[in-house]
Order: sequence, then C-alpha cells, then structure tokens
Amino acid sequence: MNIIQTIGLTKKFGDFVANDHIDLSIEEGEIRCIVGENGAGKSTLMNMLYGMLRPTSGTLLLRGKEVQIDSPTDAINLGLGMVHQHFKLVPSLTVYENILLGAEIKKSANSPLIDTRKEIEVVRALIDDYDFELNPEDKVEDISVGERQRVEILKMLYRNVDILILDEPTAVLTPQEVDGLFENLRKLRSQGKTIIVITHKLREVMALSDNVTVIKAGKVVGQLKTSETNEAELAQLMVGRKVAHAVNDGSTQAPSDKIMYYVENLRTIDGYGNEVLFGVSFEVHKGEILGIAGVEGNGQSELVSLLSGTMEAIAGKVFLKGNEITNWWPDQLRHVGVGIIPEDRGLEGLCGTMSIADNAIAGYHDRSEVCHHGFLDSRAIKAKRDRLLEAFAVRTGDVNGDVGALSGGNAQKLIVARELESNPDFLIACQPTRGVDIGSEEFIHAKLLDFRNAGHSVLLVSSELSEVLGLSDRVLVMYRGKIAGEVDPKKVTSREVGLLMAGISVEEQKSEGKEVGDGE
Amino acid sequence: MESNNLKKAVLNSALPVLFALIIGAIIIAYIGEDPLATYALLFEKSLLTPKGFMNTLHYAMPLVLTGLAIAVTFKANIYNMAVEGSCVLGGFFAGIVGASLSARMDALSMQAICLFTGILFGVLFALLPAVLKAVFHVDEMVVTLMLNYALQKILEYLATGVFRDTASGYVCTPTIHANAMFNRMGNFRITPFVFIALAAFIIIYLVMKHSKLGYEITAMGKSATFSEAMGMRTTRKIIILMIISGALSGLAGAGWMMSEKFKYTLDFSGNPGLGWDGMLVSLLGGHSPMGILVAAILYAALKTGADSINIYSAVPKEIVSVIQGLIILFLAIKFVDERFGVSGKISEAIYTYKARHKQTTSDQTSIQEEA
Repeated sequence: MNIIQTIGLTKKFGDFVANDHIDLSIEEGEIRCIVGENGAGKSTLMNMLYGMLRPTSGTLLLRGKEVQIDSPTDAINLGLGMVHQHFKLVPSLTVYENILLGAEIKKSANSPLIDTRKEIEVVRALIDDYDFELNPEDKVEDISVGERQRVEILKMLYRNVDILILDEPTAVLTPQEVDGLFENLRKLRSQGKTIIVITHKLREVMALSDNVTVIKAGKVVGQLKTSETNEAELAQLMVGRKVAHAVNDGSTQAPSDKIMYYVENLRTIDGYGNEVLFGVSFEVHKGEILGIAGVEGNGQSELVSLLSGTMEAIAGKVFLKGNEITNWWPDQLRHVGVGIIPEDRGLEGLCGTMSIADNAIAGYHDRSEVCHHGFLDSRAIKAKRDRLLEAFAVRTGDVNGDVGALSGGNAQKLIVARELESNPDFLIACQPTRGVDIGSEEFIHAKLLDFRNAGHSVLLVSSELSEVLGLSDRVLVMYRGKIAGEVDPKKVTSREVGLLMAGISVEEQKSEGKEVGDGE
Repeated sequence: MESNNLKKAVLNSALPVLFALIIGAIIIAYIGEDPLATYALLFEKSLLTPKGFMNTLHYAMPLVLTGLAIAVTFKANIYNMAVEGSCVLGGFFAGIVGASLSARMDALSMQAICLFTGILFGVLFALLPAVLKAVFHVDEMVVTLMLNYALQKILEYLATGVFRDTASGYVCTPTIHANAMFNRMGNFRITPFVFIALAAFIIIYLVMKHSKLGYEITAMGKSATFSEAMGMRTTRKIIILMIISGALSGLAGAGWMMSEKFKYTLDFSGNPGLGWDGMLVSLLGGHSPMGILVAAILYAALKTGADSINIYSAVPKEIVSVIQGLIILFLAIKFVDERFGVSGKISEAIYTYKARHKQTTSDQTSIQEEA
C-alpha cells in the first residue's frame, strides 16, 4: 500500500515553478532516496509534505486519504516527521530533555513540576526499543554529531511518527557515523517505519535505499528500483543533457601551450574538520576553458572557495603566470588578474541591499578608476555602472535602485560584467548560469567564449553537464574530493562522463563494465 | 530612490521625537501647565537665542563625537559598547597630564599634548576588545559592555588614591593648568574645542560618505559574507574601526575635561554618561553623520532648555528626562519592528483578512500566490 502519494503536486514562487506536477508514491516500510542537484526542488517537495510550504495545486494522499498539512505540527500528528540538515537542539540541555522538549512529563496532570526520573526512564526505554546507542543523561553539547542526529530521530520517534524524512543526513557525518546511521535506518525499516532520505550522494543511495526518485528542475525524471540501477545511470539522470546554445567548437584558435594557471596537490578541510579535497592538481593553459564537472558535493565548492581566497588550503600550491598565489586574499587575487564569479550569487557575488553602482565596483573599489587617495569618485562610479549595464545589456527597473530588485539573469550578468570588465587574465567561473533565464545564459556563455578567444583562461565549475561539455576545451571530473579523470568534451559520451562522476575511472571502464553499479 | 530613503530616514528619527513630545505635552497638561508655552520656552531658550544656542552647541560637541564613535562601528555591525569607557579613560588621563605638565608650557602645545593623551587612551581601551574579536572571535558586545564597569572601578581607585587632589574636600583629581583649558568665548559657554570637534566631524563625514573605508563599512554592515568575498578583509577592518571609534571617544573625553570639567570627579561623564548619550544620538541620527549632528544638537537643546524651564515656568525640569526616556522607548519600537517585521505582519494580516472576505474558498490558491 502506498503510504504517501502525491498527484500533480505543484509549487510556484511567482513565475518560478519549483515543483512541476510531481507524482510520487512511496510504499509503506521502504527506504526511498530522493536525489537531485541543489535547486532541483527536493527541499520544496519535502517542505510541502512537512507542512512548511503549501502546494499551489495538486493533491496529497496519506495512507490513501486526502490530507491538507498546514504546519509541522499537523505533519507530526499525521505520523510524518522530519530531521533537518541543521539540527534544532538545545546544546546546554541533556539528551532526554531535548527529546521531551515541548512534551515534558509532569509529576501529575496539573503539576508544574517535571518528573525527571520518569523522563529519563521513558527516554531510556525509547533508546532500548530502537536499539540506539545513547546515554539519556549526556548533555547535547558534549556528544558527537552522529549522536546528535540520533537525538533528532528519537525526538520524532517519541512522537509516534511512522514516516521519517531526513534532509541530507550524511552531510555533517564522518564515514563511520554514516555507517552507523544506515544501520539504524535499516533497523527502523525492519520495525515498519517508512524512511525518505534526501541526498545527492549516489554511493549512499546505492548502499541504503530500496527505491530512488530522481528530480531535475522541479520534475520527476526517474523512478527506479535501486537494485536495477547504478550510480552512473543516476548521475546521468540528475545532470541531464540538454543542448547548449553557445558552443566551443574549436573553430577558433586552439589553446596555447603556455600555462596560465596551475595548482599542485591542493588539500583542505571544511568547517567540521573533515578533509574535503585530497590532493587536487591541474593546469589551465592560455586561451583555454578548463571545465570541472561532477555531482555536487564532491569538493567543487571547496575548490572554488579555496581558489577565490575565502577558504584556506592546508597543503598544496597555486600559481598564476609562474608566481605563487597560494592562500592569497580575494583582493590580492583580483589585483594580480584573477576574476571571480562566486558560486552563490546572492550571498557572495552581490549585496542585495546595496545599490547597483555600489555592487558594480565591489572588489574593484580600490582601483584608480574610481578611487583616489582612499576617496571614491561618485561620478566615476556611476559612469562605470552605466558602462557595465550597457555592455552586458543588464535590464534594470531603476538604475539608482538596489541590486535586490534585479532578476536572477540580470544580477548574474552584472557580476560577469564586473569581473570581465576589469580585464583579468584568468577567470574562475562557478555555476555562472545557475537559475538564470535562457537569454542571459546564452549571453554569458558567449562572453566566456569571447574571453577565451582573446587569449585568456577560464576555470569553469558547473554541475550542469551540458554547460561544461559545451564550453570547455578539456574537462576534469571530480569525485569525492579528487580528480577522477579527464575527458575530451568533443569525443566523450555522456555515459562515460556519468561513470566518471560515479567514481569509476577510465581504466576501470575499459577493463569491462562488469561491476559498474557498485561505485568503487 | 535616494530621496525616498532620505525621507524614510528622517521619518524614522522624527517620529519617535514627535511621539515623545506629544506624551510629554499630555503630562505637562495633566499637571496644569500649558504644554505649548513650555515647549516654546524650552526651544526658544536653547536654540533661538544666541546665548542659548552657543551653550547648546557646547554641550552637543562631545555627543557628536561619541555619536560618531558609535556610528562607525554599529554601521559595520560591530557593537562597540566601550565608547563610554574610552571617553572617560581619555578624559581622565587628559586631566592627569594637564595637571602634571609644567605650568609654564605654552597653551597650544599643552592642549595638543592633552588631547593626544585622551585620544591615545581612548584607542588603547578600544583595542583590547578589537583584538579579541578579530583574532579569537570573542563577542565584542559582551566584552566592551563589561569592561566599562571594570574601568569605572579602576578609575575610582585611581581618583580616590593615587591621583587624588588632597587639597580638595571631595574625591577628585588635581585641576588642570590654566594653559590646558579651553577658554570660554565671550559671554558664552562655548570654547575653541567646538572647532576641533567640528573638524573631526567633517573628516568622519567625508570618510563615511565618500571614502573607500566608508564604502567597506556599509558593505560589512549589510553582508559579512559578501564583503569577505569581495576582499575587504573584515578582521583587519574591525581593528581599524575600533581604533577610529576609540580615538573619537577619547577626543570627546579630553575635550569635555578641558572645556567643562577641568578635573576628574566620579560623576565626570554625567548620567547616563556621554558614551551612552552618544549611542542614543547615533541611533536617533540613523548612524549618518549629518543625522548625528542634528540629533546631538536636539539632545543638547533639551538639556540646556531644562534649566530655563526650571527658572521661568512651574514645570519641573525632570520633564526633560521623561521626554528623553520616551524618545528611547519609541526608538526601541522601531528596532523591534525592523527585527520582527511587526508592521509588515499586521498589514499582511489585514490584507489576507480582506481577501478572505472577498473571495470564496475556491479562490484560495490565488490568494496564496499573491501573498
């Protein structure tokens, strides 16, 4: 029996369709993985199930009955619980206090006093029931991330939830903790719980799930039995392959032999202290676009942060035109000719509450063009703004207004304009067309190719496979913090790239695809 | 757009003052006096007579400086509560130096040395929390807030012990030499210090409005991630801003010592204190230099006007404290609104309520889309 079924579930934000007629059916007692790139609409779908968003249209059936879920409380009452990626626990309280927060056990019905002893007993019984390893009396701030996640899960189980949604549950865990989590989830399945896991780590999908649903651009593009698919197929479904508009067809001059930029053996750790880059090396020639492809979360973001000066390498070196620039600050990088299009447009690329003019000079506000002896020339700034808007056809409602009022495409064009008009030698472009309209996408692609054809170099990082393959001279595929292989975008098939993105190297592919589905 | 922002800023600051005056008027009417006549007297004596205006300017100057000291950090989202401490410490040591230098030194160098001492100690006091924040990410608000109390006790110890003027009948430090004092100009309380303060004001005005640093302050205040990604090196900027803030506060304290107090007493900074008043002035002025100048003059006018009310009417001068308190209260409402979007939620609720009544349930989805 289907425990959850959605029929034509749609969610629009203004003109943007985040979920487009999603038909999903989940069977009781299965582990279902929902995979898709960032922004594919996984979280929107789950937030509708959990009552945090209301569908624009479509119906939602729970155990065969149509329901309307208006809030997380509704969802929990209907037996549907969610564990968020960022835990919502009180660090200074103990495990049992966190689990019973909001549902405290009183000494008697009308008593204001909490029956601590009973609470501990109840929570201990709960932990034993599900065979989790936890001490109810530990403080949450003293326990590991994996244990905190168990507390979150128990919080839901205590409230008699029989459907559990986990949003990116492994993002913060160490490999050992991941194994522990999977074991616990399987135990829960054997006790009759239904589990939905949102993720983009394909290895985990294969290891954990019974069935998998692939979402791309708000639509379900695949619904498969895990035992009948493999990582490569999933990777291909996730990133899709649509026709690129502007294409680097090599008809112009080939890249020169001279090396513009190279990195050697880069390693770094993330905020949780986990190593996320394991010795990445590559070089970018003059007049070349080097593409980096891969399923998101395989170290690309960290690589870009590292090369843009917002993260530090723990080992390895970076060189531009033969000079070492390892761990330089973003302003130093821009000074020596590195243009940066950051991954997150709204957070790092622009400041929504500042004016277009102020955003147009950001990062270059110390250049003699607009700044003399530490003072800014407002007339020159406005002139620069107008020049950028004109050259990149950025449409604005009010040129004196804030950047926040621009559409995604126009905002992105402003960033590209700012970075390219400063005449860099080397451009780091991360997700340069994410969430922009087709027209802007074409425009930005054409500008990147012009930049390459003028003899400059680009490092293009994108999770959109067609973009990487269409624009690049060479493509590197990243998998789990390493370069899994290099391909020639003119010759490679998307199946080969898909396999590389799933961590199966070219040699392994050649030596027969017998164990294709198993990852490593 | 820009004129719209300006209008909004003026409204944001004028409304709290207006509401405070209205409630003040009700209280005055309740005790049987004429509110309009009282306000006329208050502002006429403090702003419209030459003498009153000059006195108001004299009291406004330290507030302009402490207000700017608050603004340069608050605007960058650094909550420097040490302005009061920097101000008092700067004033204290300007006073000690002013009393211990040779009395024969010429006025110009003596005043310069005293002012410099004030600035130096103001900066030193702000530097400790700045380094803690920049290097160890220690919350600057807590550190700066608590340091003020530690400093208060240390200065109490120094004033009652080490530096006490034994010739005086109460706790104070020795009076500074005549050459270290800024003398009154004519018949007014105003002293040449006003020119120094205004010069500082103009510099900070230019820095905040037209300089690279001012641009970076704004960007840091609006988005830390953005400014970091744009290479503004926020940790270094935090230290620079705290130094500027400390220097302005120290200058305020030294000026107050040399133009008004002439020796350190335990109530040197008054109640609640020049630094805290400066915070109100800065909030009232929307952290913009021009706004701070206007707010400081208004605030000082209330102070000078209070004495006139006491002399020329039957209204007790405490009414001014009531009005000052009400201004703070109404300003706080504005911040609560900004933080929690109360007015936005109210108008949204009214909108949904109206929409619900207009349409039947079948149209529910379209309402959600619009909302």
